[in-house]
Amino acid sequence: MANQNGKMYGLTILSPILSDPKIKISHDTALRMYLQNLDRHERSPFTKVPGTHICRLVVMDDVVFVGSPAKEEHLKSKYLIFNSNLYGGVDQYLEEMARKIPGVVDDIWSHCVGYPGVTDPRAFAAYMKKCQVETTFFFADVNDKTVELTLKALWTKVEFTAFIEQNQGRSTAELQREFAAFWERVRTSPPPEAGARLLIEGQATGA
Amino acid sequence: MKLNLFDIQGFVARGYSFPRACYLLAEILNYKEGRKFVGRVTERVTSAERWEQSKPLSTLNIGFTWTGLRKLGLPDATLLSFPVEFYQGMRFRNRILGDVGKNDPANWEPIWNQDMHVWLAVYAQTEEELARRSDEMGRLMQETGGARLIYTQQAGLICVDGKPTSKEHFGYTDGFGNPDFEGVERDTIPGQGKLMPDGKWAPLATGEFILGYPDEARELPDCPVPYLLGINGTYMAYRKLHQNVASFRKYLDEKGKQYPGGREKLAAKFVGRWLDGTPVELSPDHPDPDLVGDPARNTNFTYGHDPDGTRCPLGSHIRRANPRDAFGFNGELINRRRIMRRGLPYGEYTPDDQPARDEDDHGIIFMALGASLFRQFEFMQQQWIEYGNDAHLGNDKDPLVAYHDAGIDKFVVQGTADPGNTPFVCGGLPNFVETRGGEYFFLPSLTALRLIADGTVDPR
Repeated sequence: MANQNGKMYGLTILSPILSDPKIKISHDTALRMYLQNLDRHERSPFTKVPGTHICRLVVMDDVVFVGSPAKEEHLKSKYLIFNSNLYGGVDQYLEEMARKIPGVVDDIWSHCVGYPGVTDPRAFAAYMKKCQVETTFFFADVNDKTVELTLKALWTKVEFTAFIEQNQGRSTAELQREFAAFWERVRTSPPPEAGARLLIEGQATGA
Repeated sequence: MKLNLFDIQGFVARGYSFPRACYLLAEILNYKEGRKFVGRVTERVTSAERWEQSKPLSTLNIGFTWTGLRKLGLPDATLLSFPVEFYQGMRFRNRILGDVGKNDPANWEPIWNQDMHVWLAVYAQTEEELARRSDEMGRLMQETGGARLIYTQQAGLICVDGKPTSKEHFGYTDGFGNPDFEGVERDTIPGQGKLMPDGKWAPLATGEFILGYPDEARELPDCPVPYLLGINGTYMAYRKLHQNVASFRKYLDEKGKQYPGGREKLAAKFVGRWLDGTPVELSPDHPDPDLVGDPARNTNFTYGHDPDGTRCPLGSHIRRANPRDAFGFNGELINRRRIMRRGLPYGEYTPDDQPARDEDDHGIIFMALGASLFRQFEFMQQQWIEYGNDAHLGNDKDPLVAYHDAGIDKFVVQGTADPGNTPFVCGGLPNFVETRGGEYFFLPSLTALRLIADGTVDPR
């Protein structure tokens, strides 16, 4: 299954963008402006959609002619490309997108042809899947784990480095005692929130 | 292939190993008299011609910023043919170079934030000769009316007990080796060129360091037009790097007490060389004066058999700056990222037994030469000094020379079960080195200098 790489799913959706010569700012321009101002990285609204490892939104105006001997071709419409490397099932993922960030979904896909809105998450998921194309081949630049486990692992690595630094050189007995306490804290801590900056405890983020 | 050593500036072909230097920065006042000034300097420029009998008393070399070349009236078609990083200059490349925060160009010496045009380098055997030669430059500026001196930087070898050494302010012996390249008449020193499949070392392609010749990709490096302006020239990144000697000593004292190998070994792990220069890769447990003194051995090592960095740490300074075979592919990835280094300390040296101060004016003038500032110097600085991904170290940076933001950076000393070589994490790295200024310069050939002086640079 070409959309699947291990447990990771490579979702590719091409939604045709509305064309309306009568409006003042065209849909593709409005969409591009909106996307360019959308928060990124740890502040991206898509961190709130469970299962999102990485996602990306691109406005594609046309295909680029690279010169002979390639054939000059053009798209019939402008498209919004949505890519996501996600963990879990596609239907549930898309439904959750409608539930968790309905405002953002509305702001984006209301510029696209046939968008049904977010009031019925299942209808939104069905709409999105209608526009899905096969990813064919993708490279999942993450481990084959859930977002929560990945975040917890990264956090644990940062914490463990700090643990070593603070405890290196101690006697075996002290080390065992400290490690037991450390391990208990790490084991019982919930994973950091998606999008959280991972830093050693008590140190300023500078963000 | 034999290079025309009469046409290449001496500073480009080799380090002079003179005890003192003076770097002068000048502004070109107008192109007419400015060219006259360049012409008068050109008559005195030291070429790469071999010194048959003995060293001269002093040397003189020259370089230009992009704005300097424009001020000298080079045609637009020529000016537009230079690489973008040279056109932009070092301060506009600060985000690539990691010159941010305290190291932001806004915090550099004010001179570096104004237009400068010409760089002159005088190296001399004696203080008197250095002064004479520097004064001569000032006189030429006045006589021709073409240039104005705006900045002077003195530098020189650090003297310990009255004797010149090759130490820098932190106490490390510096300046081991530069990449060998084809066309320079000298024997290849093992460890200094490129690694061959048979494990031997061969000179790198000339085009990695000098314009106009094929490089390691068997391509000609980007060259300004006309070709005659570029061939036998090269680019240089000049950086004034301040050293926080007190912070360095204090940090080593503190961490050296915790590190089972002790202070001196920790210092060695930072750099990949013991203070005396012994390569840690070859002698991980102690300095070895015989090894340092032997040019056939002191740069002759690889990291392939030390993939975990338990001898020389993966993040140590020399392993980062020149990873040799550490990234596999028999070192081929590295051959396009080499630089020729020239450098001299500046400021007063504080002996080990004297209290040092961070704020004293001391550091190193670091100069990196190569055919592409972007591919060589900037890549090395961005990816290997200010980042750690290639070395599988996440976003760890070079412990010694990188910018350490907010004291949260760490350096990991990889280790073994041996009690004297246990793994160790050095956290809370402070800034040991700070950027105080710098710029990119083009160092033309003698022929190109004459074209510039005569106003006959013709891109057609």
